[in-house]
Amino acid sequence: MSAALEQAAEERAESIRMIRDSAAGIAPRAGDRKRIRALRFQEPGFDPAVLRQMGEQGWIGLRVPEEKGGAGLGMSEFCAVAEELGAALAPEPLVPAALSASLLAAAGAEEPLAGLLSGEKLMLTAWQEVPATLEAPGDPDAPRLFIPAAGGADAFLVPVRQDGKLALRMQHREGADLALDKTQDGGFYGTLRPAGGKVVAADIGDALGTALDEATLGTAAYLLGVMDQAFAMTLDYLRTRQQFGKPIGSFQALQHRAADLKIQIALTRASVDSAAALLDRAEALRSARRAAVSRAKARASDAAMLVTKQAIQLHGGIGYTDEADIGLYLRKVMVLANQFGPAALHRRRFAAEAREDEL
Amino acid sequence: MTDLNALTDEEFRAEVRRFVESEYPAELRNPQHRLHWEQGREWFARLKAKGWVAPGWPREYGGMGLSASKQIILIEEYERYGVARLPDHGVIMLGPLLIRFGTEAQRQRFLPRILAGEDIWCQGYSEPGAGSDLASLRTEAVLDGDHYVVNGQKIWTTLATDANWIFCLVRTDKGAKKQEGISFLLIDMKSPGVTVRPIINLALHDEFCEVFFDNVRVPRENLVGEPNKGWSMAKALLGFERIFLGSPRQSGYALARLKLLAERMGVFDEPEFQDRYTRLRLDLEDHKALYETFVAVLRRGESLGPDVSMLKLHQAELFQRITELMLEIAGENAGMLEPLGGNRDLHPSGQFIEARPTTIYGGSSEIQRGILAKNVLELPG
Repeated sequence: MSAALEQAAEERAESIRMIRDSAAGIAPRAGDRKRIRALRFQEPGFDPAVLRQMGEQGWIGLRVPEEKGGAGLGMSEFCAVAEELGAALAPEPLVPAALSASLLAAAGAEEPLAGLLSGEKLMLTAWQEVPATLEAPGDPDAPRLFIPAAGGADAFLVPVRQDGKLALRMQHREGADLALDKTQDGGFYGTLRPAGGKVVAADIGDALGTALDEATLGTAAYLLGVMDQAFAMTLDYLRTRQQFGKPIGSFQALQHRAADLKIQIALTRASVDSAAALLDRAEALRSARRAAVSRAKARASDAAMLVTKQAIQLHGGIGYTDEADIGLYLRKVMVLANQFGPAALHRRRFAAEAREDEL
Repeated sequence: MTDLNALTDEEFRAEVRRFVESEYPAELRNPQHRLHWEQGREWFARLKAKGWVAPGWPREYGGMGLSASKQIILIEEYERYGVARLPDHGVIMLGPLLIRFGTEAQRQRFLPRILAGEDIWCQGYSEPGAGSDLASLRTEAVLDGDHYVVNGQKIWTTLATDANWIFCLVRTDKGAKKQEGISFLLIDMKSPGVTVRPIINLALHDEFCEVFFDNVRVPRENLVGEPNKGWSMAKALLGFERIFLGSPRQSGYALARLKLLAERMGVFDEPEFQDRYTRLRLDLEDHKALYETFVAVLRRGESLGPDVSMLKLHQAELFQRITELMLEIAGENAGMLEPLGGNRDLHPSGQFIEARPTTIYGGSSEIQRGILAKNVLELPG
């Protein structure tokens, strides 16, 4: 590597470290999860003031080009933020909000975009018509399912097929036919029956596919943070919990299990980081991008489930209580493992998109 | 009363089936959580009216006096119909212990009240510092005249909020080796100094509790058996019951629900699902066959060996694998707090959470593997 390239890489790494630090400032990894407990199962399931802080930090528009009011940063930065939020179990819908920001930016809808980027207004994209999919057919009448954090939305962005193109309608929350259902992590999924709304873009073209890919990778990064922190808490427990006169972490069976979990976390980190780096390269092919995103999400979903299940097991009885924070990590994974596509969907998509010579 | 042991197995099975189908409250079939006493009161009243509260106790103490093989039939039929467990520590644990190790005065005092539903018992074994390593328990009972003075804390006490009595393992000799200083003590939970705190579990249900003892005075005659022999008494009781933790019921029921869910999600006929589903089905069929070999041991009137750990271990992990596949195929429904469309048979997240503690309670999978390695395989160390 030339000296100039090396310096550029070093500066990039430094900027990612800084953004990670500022994320950790708003959503600290350490400490108890009192804030999360106070918000759970209470509408809207997150703190709008914290979402505004995230807007002020520029995270909602982190991927939006600077000329459109965003920060114009890369997926590596976005994943760093998402990972920190995952480690802190932050319930604020940063990934869904960023997805909407990408769509509004692509559509050139400046006024609603400005409100969304600042964190003042929350627009959520109501794209999903069946469970376990990444396709948005845009049926004008189909109920839109599994809208995360829907109770906090000011408006919904509804992709609708019109004249053979995917248009984007904006429907205000007021008067909308919206039902909320509690999720295991204390949040709410919304079901929206689309009706009316203003067309903000006649053709969002490929923007939705790209935005969904980025949201998928952001969710994988969030899951990485969840499993990493759950693992750290479990290691603490293995070091301090005494049974049979010694720390349980001294038993070889548990040491080996911890080592296996560490491998899965390392694989997830490598997968997420390399997918983010690939998405940040302008010349990368669309199929390669999709394959990389699916590879990362398939790994993150399975690894996060494995790590948080084992975190409960290794905590023993206390892990099965609601008052132990470790259970909150499993509940978060129960929701996110299948959000933006379960592992099986991503394995299928990887197989369809990846070229053998890239393996 | 007919001598139930004189019936053939088929006749007895038909009798049990008639009884549960006509008397068991339909709304309590296959509940997701342990029933509180109030919820099961009506079922208990019907068991009491029929004289069926205590299947394993001898008839002279008001039990059904059933042979081991008849008890197994009874349990098979209860499981088949989805009959829930009542708060039954008095019937299952304490009764047999008093019959075997108690004084006649203790039997006369406590057994009739269990049969009448007047005393509800809970079990105080585990402590915050004594889980898998139960013998390190520290709740202390010190003799002071005619009373023991009890101080300490128990945890994972199932349904302690429903109970008015608790049987405890307590330390009565701090100088002795771990297992040798432990006694078995019966404590009235209305005694001054007893505090119960429910613990909300991961299913957001208040199934177990902590029980605190602060200078609780317990009459000396409430000690069962000899002082410092509590450990071996409690262990002697762990014979018969261990098989039920390995019953295929939970997994069988979960597998049926997995099928319903797969049909609902439209994946049942997919080859990938079929392969995984069939693998679980075969695991269940083989588990049933293995279970039957242990049941046969009991039918012959023999006692179970340490190899019964295999059953509990395999059942718990099979149950978990079934519910994990539920989550995988449920899409976003995997994260929903409530059942799909209000149908409690379609509740992947609830089933998944319900399966989590099965590898922890009743001897964790780690402990069971240790038993197999040391006591069955006789590996060194």
